[in-house]
Amino acid sequence: MPVVSLEGITKAYEDKVAVNNLSFSIEPGQMFGLLGPNGSGKTSSIRMMIGMTYPDAGTVRLFDRPVARESLNHVGYLPEERGLYKKMKVLDQLVFMGCLHGLATAESEKRAVAWAKRMEISAALDKKTQELSKGMQQKIQFIAALMHDPELIIMDEPFSGLDPVNATLLQDTLLELKAQGKAILFSTHRMDQVEKLCDSICLINRGQALLKGNLREIKSRYERNRVIVEFEGSAAFLESAEVAEAKNYSGHAEIKLKPQGDAQKLLREAAAGAKIYRFELVEPSLEEIFIETVGGRADA
Amino acid sequence: MHNIFLIAKREYFEQIRGRAFRISTILVPLLIACLIGANYFAAARMGAGKHIAIAAADARLAEDVRQRLLDDKDAKLTVDVVTPASEADQAALLGKIKAKELDGVLTIGEAVDGAPALTYASESSADLVNTRWLKTAVKLGLAEGRLRAGGMSADQVNGLLENVKIEPLHLGKDGKTAKSEGMSPVYKANVLLILIIIPITLYGMDMARAIVEEKSSRIFEVMLSVARPIDLLTGKLLGVGAVGLTQVAIWGLAMTIFLGSTLAASVMTGDFAVHISVAEVALLPVYFLLAFFLYSALFSGLGATCETAQDLQMYVPLIIVPMYLSMAALAVCMNSPGSPWAIAASLFPLTAGFVMVPRMGLETVPLWQIAASIAIMLLSIWGTMWFSSRLYRVGILMYGKRATLPEIWRWLRYS
Repeated sequence: MPVVSLEGITKAYEDKVAVNNLSFSIEPGQMFGLLGPNGSGKTSSIRMMIGMTYPDAGTVRLFDRPVARESLNHVGYLPEERGLYKKMKVLDQLVFMGCLHGLATAESEKRAVAWAKRMEISAALDKKTQELSKGMQQKIQFIAALMHDPELIIMDEPFSGLDPVNATLLQDTLLELKAQGKAILFSTHRMDQVEKLCDSICLINRGQALLKGNLREIKSRYERNRVIVEFEGSAAFLESAEVAEAKNYSGHAEIKLKPQGDAQKLLREAAAGAKIYRFELVEPSLEEIFIETVGGRADA
Repeated sequence: MHNIFLIAKREYFEQIRGRAFRISTILVPLLIACLIGANYFAAARMGAGKHIAIAAADARLAEDVRQRLLDDKDAKLTVDVVTPASEADQAALLGKIKAKELDGVLTIGEAVDGAPALTYASESSADLVNTRWLKTAVKLGLAEGRLRAGGMSADQVNGLLENVKIEPLHLGKDGKTAKSEGMSPVYKANVLLILIIIPITLYGMDMARAIVEEKSSRIFEVMLSVARPIDLLTGKLLGVGAVGLTQVAIWGLAMTIFLGSTLAASVMTGDFAVHISVAEVALLPVYFLLAFFLYSALFSGLGATCETAQDLQMYVPLIIVPMYLSMAALAVCMNSPGSPWAIAASLFPLTAGFVMVPRMGLETVPLWQIAASIAIMLLSIWGTMWFSSRLYRVGILMYGKRATLPEIWRWLRYS
């Protein structure tokens, strides 16, 4: 049974159709990436999932029921920009959010303290939010979205403002939650993170789904015509007749072959003038698929 | 209900702990006391203690006017008389005004067709208080002269021109008359109006500002994922309303303690002898809360449609103007508390909260009017809350630009 499912939802504001006949669903234990350029309809879709706005057409089902206020106690939402009371102390803020999600005050405080320890912000519990760095505030927002142990976790750009160490901390936490069977929806522009974390994606543009399904399956639809080369010596092979595009980052090259380009021939040409440490034929990255798909539609 | 309570509790404690609450709790009563004191002092002392000269052709008339002016003990005037006053004398007197030796010169010309030409020269172009006193004194002086010329004795003239005093009586609903409390109900009505209007303006503005700020920080995006917009708005209104009520209760308590003190017994006499009825005590918090909810709901709707504090500032007069119209309505009530205008102001939801309780101090308001005004205000609050919560829901999610009126209309139709 899907945790959340969107069935042909459409939402328009004035003349602008924000979401157009969009359908997808997220199962328990699934990490789902909702991707799309700015203004593509990601936030509008999320707002309908959490009952903030209603679709003009189609249905949203949460825990196999139409969206109801009570169901939202099982949803954790982290918005793209910080939504915290600046003058409120961190612990008070977390307890307040926990209580709003149906926890008793004592339980809410207990969980807030435990989560703060886990996220390494115990020292900040007694401070006002406005006294903290952007990264710290992001962690507080993260805890506020999770402390009531939701079954569906919606994260809009969760890693923004975080340094690599803290980003890894959050990432590991999300993977743990996924292992516990929580359904997680990511809305992000960071394709590398989606590629690393998500099982399934839905790529939308102008409110419509352009690509959706299992990430591995989607990537396998694309020809393995990308080559990553690590080398020392002449870079003349990047001018080869087999190469359509190439980026050279001093000893690390990313190459896109021409439609009928021969990788073996390119390898021979490269080896003739340089010492090759790595020569790997790969499928296109999600970022390339994103640019190609969205760019192709934009041109159309 | 659970979420409404939580939101109200958060609002209440955050505001109560704030510096703004402590400052306004102390400063507002101080300002009211200063305002009343300054008004009273100015009214009592205005124009008093001046040194003027009368330049007249008729020495007897000049002396009569001087006597009438000196009879007014409140005026505390020093009056010189120059008769007959030549043009040179008059010029010399004007020179004394320049030299600050005199405050003004009253010139009484020859009587033509019974009325002499009068001028009063002073350094102030709006010396209305002195002008009023002088006019009365000259009228009485002229009458005195004519009555004497008609053969009346000095005692008869004085008896005839003696000031007439009217004792104001208040006719109650039971048909019985009682001694009026003088200016006391007027002062009390003004204090009550200020006590209601200031917290509502302060907290209403604060509410709108908080919504604009919270809208820009996206707090409501998180909150709306947990609570209904109407719950958010109701919780916020209840919390901030409780703060305002706490403040009014502190002022009320302070006033009760003050009224029981020996200092109050010496100060609160005559026009300042305040009598507050049980009905006023009971209905003050009711009308305060009703007006508070109505205006705060309006302020919230306004906050939801504004993008920045500057936008808000531009639209605030739309709400402030009807609030301060209540002051004009109260002036009408003071003159004729039972007039159709006073009744209309007590029933109209935007003015009722400010006018009804002060009006109760001026006359016995019929019960049906109190019941009707409460019912109308409750209905208006419900309507405004519905309206504002829709603006709130859509407005706080539509950021990036200021809303226009057609857009606000469309927002109301959005789900």
